[in-house]
Parts: sequence; structure tokens; C-alpha cells
Amino acid sequence: MKLKSLKLKKNGELLIGGGICSIFFLWSLGWFIYSTMINGSFKNPFVPKMDMKYELILPFQEKFFMGTDVYGRSLFEVISSGVSYSILISLTVSFFASVIGLIIGYFSVSGSNTVKKLFDFMTNFVFILPSLLLAILLMSFSGQSLLGLILVLVLTGWPSYAKLARGETKRIMGLCYLEGARAMGATRLRIMLKVIFPEILPVFVVNIILGLSGVIISEATLGFLGLGGSEYSWGVLLSMGKDVLLEGPHIVIISSMVLGLLIIGLNFFGDGLRDYLDPKS
Amino acid sequence: MVNQKKVVNLTLTCFLTLVAIFFLVRMAPGDPVERLLGPEATYEEIQNYRNDLGLNDTILIQFKTFFLNTLKGDLGKSLFKRKDVMTLLSKHFKPTLVIAFFTIIISSFCGITFGLISAVYKSRKPDHMLRLFSIFALSFPIFSLGPILVYIFSIKLQAFPVSEWGDGGFKHLFLPVMTLVIPLSSVLSRFTRNKFLEEMKAQWIEILKAKGLSTFSINLRVLKVCAPSLLNVIAIQLSVILAGTMVTETIFDIPGMGSLLLEAIQNRDYPIVQGVILYSTLIYMVIYFLTDYLAQKCDPRISN
Repeated sequence: MKLKSLKLKKNGELLIGGGICSIFFLWSLGWFIYSTMINGSFKNPFVPKMDMKYELILPFQEKFFMGTDVYGRSLFEVISSGVSYSILISLTVSFFASVIGLIIGYFSVSGSNTVKKLFDFMTNFVFILPSLLLAILLMSFSGQSLLGLILVLVLTGWPSYAKLARGETKRIMGLCYLEGARAMGATRLRIMLKVIFPEILPVFVVNIILGLSGVIISEATLGFLGLGGSEYSWGVLLSMGKDVLLEGPHIVIISSMVLGLLIIGLNFFGDGLRDYLDPKS
Repeated sequence: MVNQKKVVNLTLTCFLTLVAIFFLVRMAPGDPVERLLGPEATYEEIQNYRNDLGLNDTILIQFKTFFLNTLKGDLGKSLFKRKDVMTLLSKHFKPTLVIAFFTIIISSFCGITFGLISAVYKSRKPDHMLRLFSIFALSFPIFSLGPILVYIFSIKLQAFPVSEWGDGGFKHLFLPVMTLVIPLSSVLSRFTRNKFLEEMKAQWIEILKAKGLSTFSINLRVLKVCAPSLLNVIAIQLSVILAGTMVTETIFDIPGMGSLLLEAIQNRDYPIVQGVILYSTLIYMVIYFLTDYLAQKCDPRISN
């Protein structure tokens, strides 16, 4: 226990990253509660009000400490919606992509020969396609709904998890204690759930955290190109900001800063967690 | 020399991409003819026009015509622009090629150099500074980096023109290329550093040291061992550039392949979408083979 706390003290990345991530998480949770319970309802959540009277006000003027956007909405409220939106999307997408990847990766090692070959081919085929380009194409032809967005991002995101799960399962299959479990008469299901998945889990969690920023960026890129699912996407905000760079540079600067901070936080947190969990270091 | 299995695999991938794109574009909601003729067009006009374009044939017959024409090198005509897709492609290809070329050259050079400096000065000042820089560079995606660069260089410093392609000279190239170079060189420098340090742990390094080779020549030999994986990463980054140019071209208003594709997608201009995707896949394949070949040249063990 003492050793662990010592390790934690030396691991600045984990502390900084964890701090930034928890601030963002609390921010999005707070905004979610505020917009659905305090100032609205689940069916009719609070959305930032448009008011042309307050068009493109710079930060720290009147009552807007982040200024306003093109439609006169408070930039703080728009960014808060964007933060909750992108965190929600990235968590959902990463969850489904990693579960699908885990299952396919596991069965491409331990399944029957046909299953192995099929899953391997599927993984490699989707993996070598340029994922963002694929997402752009699918998104533009699937109609731009929230569900479609999540589906498209899951569809382009799972192969990297499948590759990871495949490699890890292969490694664990060669370990001695798996042989032991088998000798004691454990069923295949039991081996999968009690031996292999717990062993994969730490590596998987680290990769999910590192993958979250990738999902956020892909989602925002789609939004930037006008193919996103929501008007509060970071990409939509930035593409609005780039058109009014002369009159209101604060939109681009503030939203880039917030996005950059979130990505730095996630990357630090993931890297720090990997060092923390790695027994070799 | 070139692996036969790889050729078969890549041809299959190319064919599957072609099939996927063909059906995906046609299954999508939204009809190009209705969009083209406007809301006032009567049903008969629409049907006549569809007959002219061959859109009323069954989808399999359409696919057969499309496939045979593609093999002959004829990609069809754009539905909206009334021009051959090939002409449009060759016109829009140049800006994207120029940007991609300079991006690859500059970011490979910068990325590998910075990565080497980082690795040689491990855990010292240059390493810390370069790593900090790469972390910051990677946390600004292309679509936020672009507008920030425009704000700094075009609006505040007035050094470069805002968002226009013009003649495609240095002034117009600088910002778009920079937008792509910064994240790419950061990825490359991180990779180079880690790979280099990993190779430095190998046993044969000790032998070189025992033989009394200078640090410089040892580094040179390690770099040669790293070269194949570096080439691989650069090839993978190309697909990032492919999508990245779409964003950059939107930011800087460049008439390239990305903006052509984006416009065609919005208009449901089937032939252009198919053409651009096919073209990109082919280029991607050529580069894949080229890097494979170069990697074999650098490290003969790979071909066995």
C-alpha cells in the first residue's frame, strides 16, 4: 500500500491527467443536471438561448464571461453543451467499440477455424480502410442522426480494439496458469470470464481512455465538415468560429483551448495509468 | 520480389471498396436528379432524365456497365458539372498533390530529426522540451489548429493571405501545409524516439560499443534498423492526410480532391464520388507497395 502511494506521488502525469479529466467530468455532469433537472426537463432540456441583440460579444463584457457566438448565445453555455455532448458520445462509442472488439478479438484466437479466418479478415479489412474517410462517407449517406453518428463511429472504431484483444488473448493463452485452470476442469466459458478477461482488462481500460480523445476528434471532424449529429458539436462551433475570425476570434480561441485541455487531460491520464498499472516500471 | 499474396489481397480490397462505394452511394437517401432539376420538375421530366443517365436500369446492370467502363479507364460524367470525371479529377488533383507532397517531405524530415534529438538527449532538456511541444501540438486537431494559425499569421501578423488558393505559390501553400505538418511531425517524432530507444537496448549495440565505434556511427546504424517501421508509419499517416486534406481544404478554400469529394457527396454526384474514392485507393495501393519495397531494401530480413 505504501509502495503504491509512493508510486502515485512520482506519477505526475496520472495526477494532472486525472485532475483535468475529473474537472471535465464534473463539468459535463453538472451541466447535464442543470439542463435537464434544474432549468428544464428530460424531454425538454435547457438549450442556450439565441438573442441577436447580443451577437458576437467579446469575453468579459456585459454578463458573458466567455462572450457570445454568432447567434447571440452565451459561449459558456454552448461549450458546456458541447462538453457534455462529446463526452457522452465518446463514452458510448468507446464502450460499444471495445465490447465488440473484445469479443471478436477473443474469438479470432479461440474460435473454430472458420470463425478465426472470418474474424481475422473482417478486422484487417476494416482496419486498413482509412477510418475517418470511411466515417465521412458513411455519415453523409446515412442521414445525419445521433444514432447514425454513434453507429458509424463504432463501426470504424472497433478493429483497433479487436487487434489488441487478439494479441493479448494469444499472449495469455500461452501462460502456465491457464493450463492449470484447464487441468482443473474449468469450462471454456469460465476460462474466458475468469481468466482471460480480467487479465486483459487493465490494458483495455488504458486503451479506451487513450481512444476517447480519438473519438472526440473524429466526431468533431465530422461536425466540422457539416456531417455531425448535433449543433453543439465542437466541430460545428469551430467551423462557425473560423468564418468570423476577424470579428470574433474568441470563439475559435476559447473552444480550441477547452478542447485542447480535454485532449491533453485524457492523454496524460491514459499514459499515467499505463505506467501505474505496468508491473515492469 | 513483391509478395504474390499481398497483390491478391490488395486487388481484393480495391475491388471490395469499389463495390461498397457503388452500392453505398446508391442506397443513400436523396436523389441527384430531383436535386438537379429542382422542385418544379414534373415526374415525367425526372423519369426521362433518369433514363438518359441509365439510373432506371436494375442496379446490377448499372454495376456491370460501371465496372466495365472503369476497367477501360472511363469513369463517366459528372451529373452536375457536365464534365468528364477524369478531367475534373486531374484538375483538382494538383493542389492536393502539392500539399500532400510538401507535408510528407517536411513532416518526415522534422519528425525524424526531432525524434532523434529527443532520443539522443533522453531525459535531458531538449528531450523534455520537444516532448512537451509534441503533446501540445497533438492536442490541437487540424480543424482547430488551422483557424488558430490563420488568426496568428494572417490577421495579427498579416504575413500570409487569408483563405485563398490563388496561383498556389509559397504564400498560399505555407499555412495549409503547416496545419498538416505540425500534428504529423509530432506523431512521427514520438514514434521515432520510442523506436530508437527500443532498438538501442539490443545486444549488438554493445558489440559495436566494444569495437570502439563512435556514438555517431552507432546512431546511424540504429537509425537504419528503425527505417522500415518509420516508413510504415509514414505510409499509415498518408490515410490521415487523405482525410486531413478534406478539412484543410475546407478551412483554406482550396480547390482540391477533398473539396471536390465533399461537394459531390452533398450533391449525390455518384460518378465523382466513385472516381475520387477509386483514385485515392489506387494511390494508396501504389504507396503501400513502394514503402514495402523500400522497407525490404533497408532490411533484407523482411522479405524472408
